[in-house]
Amino acid sequence: MEKRNEVLRTRILIVPFIVVFCILGTVVFFISKKISREMSESAINNLSESLDLISNTIEVILKKEVEFQKLLSQEIAGLEKPEDFVLSYDRNDTMVKISLILSGETTGISNTGEVFAEKDLDFSWGKTVEDLPLSKSYVNSMGTWAYTIKCPVIRNKEEIATLYIEYIYDSFEEALPSQFYNKEAKLYLMDVDSERLVLKPKGIGERDAGHISLEDFYNANKILEGSVQENVAKNIKDGKDVMFYHDIQNEDSLIYMWSVNKGTEYMIGYVPVRAIQREGNAVNQNIMIVVIVMMVTFSACCAFYLFFEKQNDKIRKDRESERELYNKQLKEALQAAQIANNSKTTFLANMSHDIRTPMNAILGFATLLARDVSNPEQVREYTKKITASGQHLLGLINDVLDISKIESGKVVLTIGEFALKDMISSIDAIIRPAAKTKNQNFDITVTGIKHENLIGDETRLNQILINLLSNAVKYTQEGGDIWLRIIGLKQRSSQYEHIRIEVEDNGYGMTPEYLETIFDAFTRAENSTTNKVQGTGLGMAITKNIVELMGGTIEVTSEVNIGSRFVVELEFRIPDVKVDGQFWKQRGISRILVVDDEEDNRESVRLLMEDMGICVDLACDGEEALRLRKSAYEAGEDYHVILLDWKMPGMNGVETARLLSKVAPEHILTLLLTAYDWDGIQEEAVQAGIDGFLPKPFFVSAFKEKILELLEEQEMEKDSEADAEEGCMEGRHFLVVEDNEINSEILSEILRIEGASCEVAENGQLAVEHFSQAQPGSFDAILMDVQMPVMNGYEASRAIRALDREDAGQIPIIAMTANAFAEDVKDAIDAGMNAHIAKPIDTELLKRTIKQYLE
Amino acid sequence: MKNEEKKKQTVVLFAPMERTKADAKNVARTAFDKTIIMAEEKLDVTVEYNTYTAKDYQEKSYDDVALERIQNDMDDFYLLNPDVLQKMGEKGKLADLSGLDCVKNLREVVKTANTVNGMLVGIPQEVVVYGLFVNKDMFDKYKIDLPNTPEEFLECCKIFKENGIETPIGANRWWLETFVFAQAYADLYNGDNTATEIEELNSGKRKYSDYMRKGFEYLKKLIDLGYIDAKTAYTYEAIDGEGADFLAQKTPIVMAYWGAANAETAYGNPDFNMQVIGFPSDRGQMPVMSMTGVSALANSEHLEDTLNVLEVILSDEALQVYSETNKVISPSKNVEVDCIPALKPLNDLVNEGTYVLASNAGMKVEQWGNTCLIVRELLNGASVDECMAKFDKLQEE
Repeated sequence: MEKRNEVLRTRILIVPFIVVFCILGTVVFFISKKISREMSESAINNLSESLDLISNTIEVILKKEVEFQKLLSQEIAGLEKPEDFVLSYDRNDTMVKISLILSGETTGISNTGEVFAEKDLDFSWGKTVEDLPLSKSYVNSMGTWAYTIKCPVIRNKEEIATLYIEYIYDSFEEALPSQFYNKEAKLYLMDVDSERLVLKPKGIGERDAGHISLEDFYNANKILEGSVQENVAKNIKDGKDVMFYHDIQNEDSLIYMWSVNKGTEYMIGYVPVRAIQREGNAVNQNIMIVVIVMMVTFSACCAFYLFFEKQNDKIRKDRESERELYNKQLKEALQAAQIANNSKTTFLANMSHDIRTPMNAILGFATLLARDVSNPEQVREYTKKITASGQHLLGLINDVLDISKIESGKVVLTIGEFALKDMISSIDAIIRPAAKTKNQNFDITVTGIKHENLIGDETRLNQILINLLSNAVKYTQEGGDIWLRIIGLKQRSSQYEHIRIEVEDNGYGMTPEYLETIFDAFTRAENSTTNKVQGTGLGMAITKNIVELMGGTIEVTSEVNIGSRFVVELEFRIPDVKVDGQFWKQRGISRILVVDDEEDNRESVRLLMEDMGICVDLACDGEEALRLRKSAYEAGEDYHVILLDWKMPGMNGVETARLLSKVAPEHILTLLLTAYDWDGIQEEAVQAGIDGFLPKPFFVSAFKEKILELLEEQEMEKDSEADAEEGCMEGRHFLVVEDNEINSEILSEILRIEGASCEVAENGQLAVEHFSQAQPGSFDAILMDVQMPVMNGYEASRAIRALDREDAGQIPIIAMTANAFAEDVKDAIDAGMNAHIAKPIDTELLKRTIKQYLE
Repeated sequence: MKNEEKKKQTVVLFAPMERTKADAKNVARTAFDKTIIMAEEKLDVTVEYNTYTAKDYQEKSYDDVALERIQNDMDDFYLLNPDVLQKMGEKGKLADLSGLDCVKNLREVVKTANTVNGMLVGIPQEVVVYGLFVNKDMFDKYKIDLPNTPEEFLECCKIFKENGIETPIGANRWWLETFVFAQAYADLYNGDNTATEIEELNSGKRKYSDYMRKGFEYLKKLIDLGYIDAKTAYTYEAIDGEGADFLAQKTPIVMAYWGAANAETAYGNPDFNMQVIGFPSDRGQMPVMSMTGVSALANSEHLEDTLNVLEVILSDEALQVYSETNKVISPSKNVEVDCIPALKPLNDLVNEGTYVLASNAGMKVEQWGNTCLIVRELLNGASVDECMAKFDKLQEE
């Protein structure tokens, strides 16, 4: 519709242009025509004037000839012997022959000496020049066209003789224009009586030179119409000028026949109309050029106008669409804001519920605790529940703080080297118990990973995995399955390990609608007030933000009642480490046998171990393992270590181990690879000859550690960490810097329970004073809060480190703060502190940290 | 521009112009014009062209006017018939052209025919060969063989006449003499004593009338038998008069020069099978050769320029162009061109060396012009004896 309107508008615009063009064209046509006509008339007038002028010139020559002849006759009249005068006269270019016949005689003499008789000439036609008789034209004795004028010689009023003078037409040649219309016009002189052409243009070829008469002129130029010839003849007879149009050699021409000396001679010829209208044509051409330029300019203006009109239209439309877009965006923003508002309202409602629930538990159990203080069993139960609720509350607070931090763009990744093995181990330690409580199978596979140690933010990676896995546990029914797959992808760069992490479950799954908003903050699969599953709804948003912060991608696929699958792809820098081939060499390990029914697992081990320079043989089941061991033993190339998968179809790992020991008498180090707890089968396995258990997934570092552990088991009797940790606080004296009285009290109590003592300073300033005033060595460490009035922990630490005393630079300062983010840790270190412990205080962590620094 | 043009040398030519079909393309003139244009371009001169053609037999002929103009030093160079050339050569009015470079290329017969008192006074652009133009279709129609001897020719005419063709031979006032020359000089030019016989003619030992009589008598017989209309022949201009009837197939035989077979203005495009053969003689068919030479005025104010122009238009290069355009026999021994089929019989004879000369400046009595005039007298009713007396008189003079 709009297009049709546009076409209509263009047409409406074009119509006036066409009308203007037509008017302009018509006006120019008529002006041009008028000019052409006027110029043509003017050209014909010019031609007529030129012919008149030539005719007059010839007539003047004739008159002069007559005047001269009269003078001669007068002179002769005065002579006694006129014949002598005649004989003495030499011919010139004009008068070629003078003859004299005395009155009464029939013959006379000529200047050539010949006898002259008038009968040789023809004066019968009665034509004259200035009243003197003129002969008809003839070819004279010089072979050229001539005429004779006779003049009486009168003495004393008596005619004594007649003077005849012969003139040649060639003498008129000088009077004719040599460049008549640029040589395009032809001009002949015709004797009227004989119609012979007595003077012709000298030229080459028959067209110009070949005509000898009017008849030839007609024939040569195809002027054959009887009426035209008759008309010409009539006019010539009357001595009138004639001019008419006729085609000559296919060109429109003007033919002229111009009377000379009252029609005794005629100038005849023709000129192409083009030649006489040259100026007119030039004017017309110039007019046409001007008109064309005007039209081009006009067209260009119209085109520009249309173009700009179109451009304006386009701009207007663009603006309209832009406005529409803005409106749409505004609408969307409004909707988003409303949704966000609704989400936040829902979130607040959820949070209110989620915070109140544990808080209610804490307060409730605190009340119960106060009541049942005398019953230690109950007290332990209550405090356990209070701790659980507190932990949950802490989780909620951490999530809320995390998401707000991420959203405000304040998150900084803490990049460091980490071992994938450790990370997976810690994840396993967290998730497996949770899964176990719901009787869920939790399976971890690692394949295709070439580098176990990577550089990245381990904490954040942990957070991603825990978020995804804890969700999987949460949203999978009891007895369901959960898979964690860590897959090494093809490296895009040799410096980066490209990893895909897949977390899959066969749990409740998600609706397509929910999938669209899963990564948005403040959303949850079900309203938590009506669902038994609890959470802030921030987990996925945090996860996605962290993944993106790490330069990775996260995708999710899910179907209700089928399950969900999260796929995270990340790249981690590979640290510059040398392959530690010496470890294996030193311990005499160069050949191992891997027995696993999963090909991916076998290949993963082979890939990793071959990089270490170890020869790896693979067996897909127990039978093949036995065969390989046997042939290796017999060949004298027995294996140094055997890795056995526990659960295999047919013969399991333990049975295989048992039979392996029978294949060859020598015992070789045999490890059972399993993702399951070792505890249930440990005894059976040991009996079967298995030396130890290696958790799945396989990591070289874990393998190395296990080898070391087993090899040095006998020699290395270490005290348990717990033992070591215990007593490390005994007798220690600390400076506790804490503005919050409750917190300082709790800390003091914890320290007291551990056998340590402390002094408390309420702010940084007081802490600096305490420390500076105390004897060197009075304090073993300073436990420093960060956010405090007067002077904060960072400033206090810097002031202490700046003190001029020996122990100022050495005393361990441990930050204890609710500022639990990575950058807070960094800030603490930068301020000169040694370590950072997040509040609320984990007693075990505190003890470990203190021990580390006191040692 | 005007000044430049004024500086440019102008050389004036006087030459004949055929006026028949004035608007038609004239091959002969075009060929001549081509050579003139070559000269104008090479020498940076302008050649102005003067012409005269008599309206009828009562007017002065071109030859008359040419004579007068030469005598009055009117032009710089001329295209002249052999009689005028010989007359003016003898009067010393024509320049000696033997010094021109192009002379060395000329055939000997050409030089001989144009030498007067030891001076080469004219050089032709073509060797003009006259022959009988016959309508072969009409010959075939009446089952007549092409004639070789005078008797055979008479027999042909007789058959045509019997078949209702009133005048079998179309003639004009110029070219009937060719019949005479063929019979008169067939033995002289084709025998072994040509030079001696001419010498004896010049010395008076032999009489021209003895040679001419046979031809005149034969011509008289043709007239008397009504094979030639003497009345019309006396007034007809060449081709202009008799040509129309020949082309209209009313007349089976005419005589004309070689080039007429190529010229659109003459017999270049007939509606019938035309053949050009030699004139009847006791020695068989006999071509008659004449030359229209280019001569320079000895008194010309622009003699040097004129000779330069002649050098160009008579060079091998120019004669090649001329001969190719007109398909004629060149006076230069270096130039040869193919002829059209109609001319083949005549060409073969010329190549064999069989021909008579109608003009020979080496003969003291001018042949071409005088014979022409005496033939006209025959046409006008004079007897053969009267005509022979004229020759004797001329020889005595």
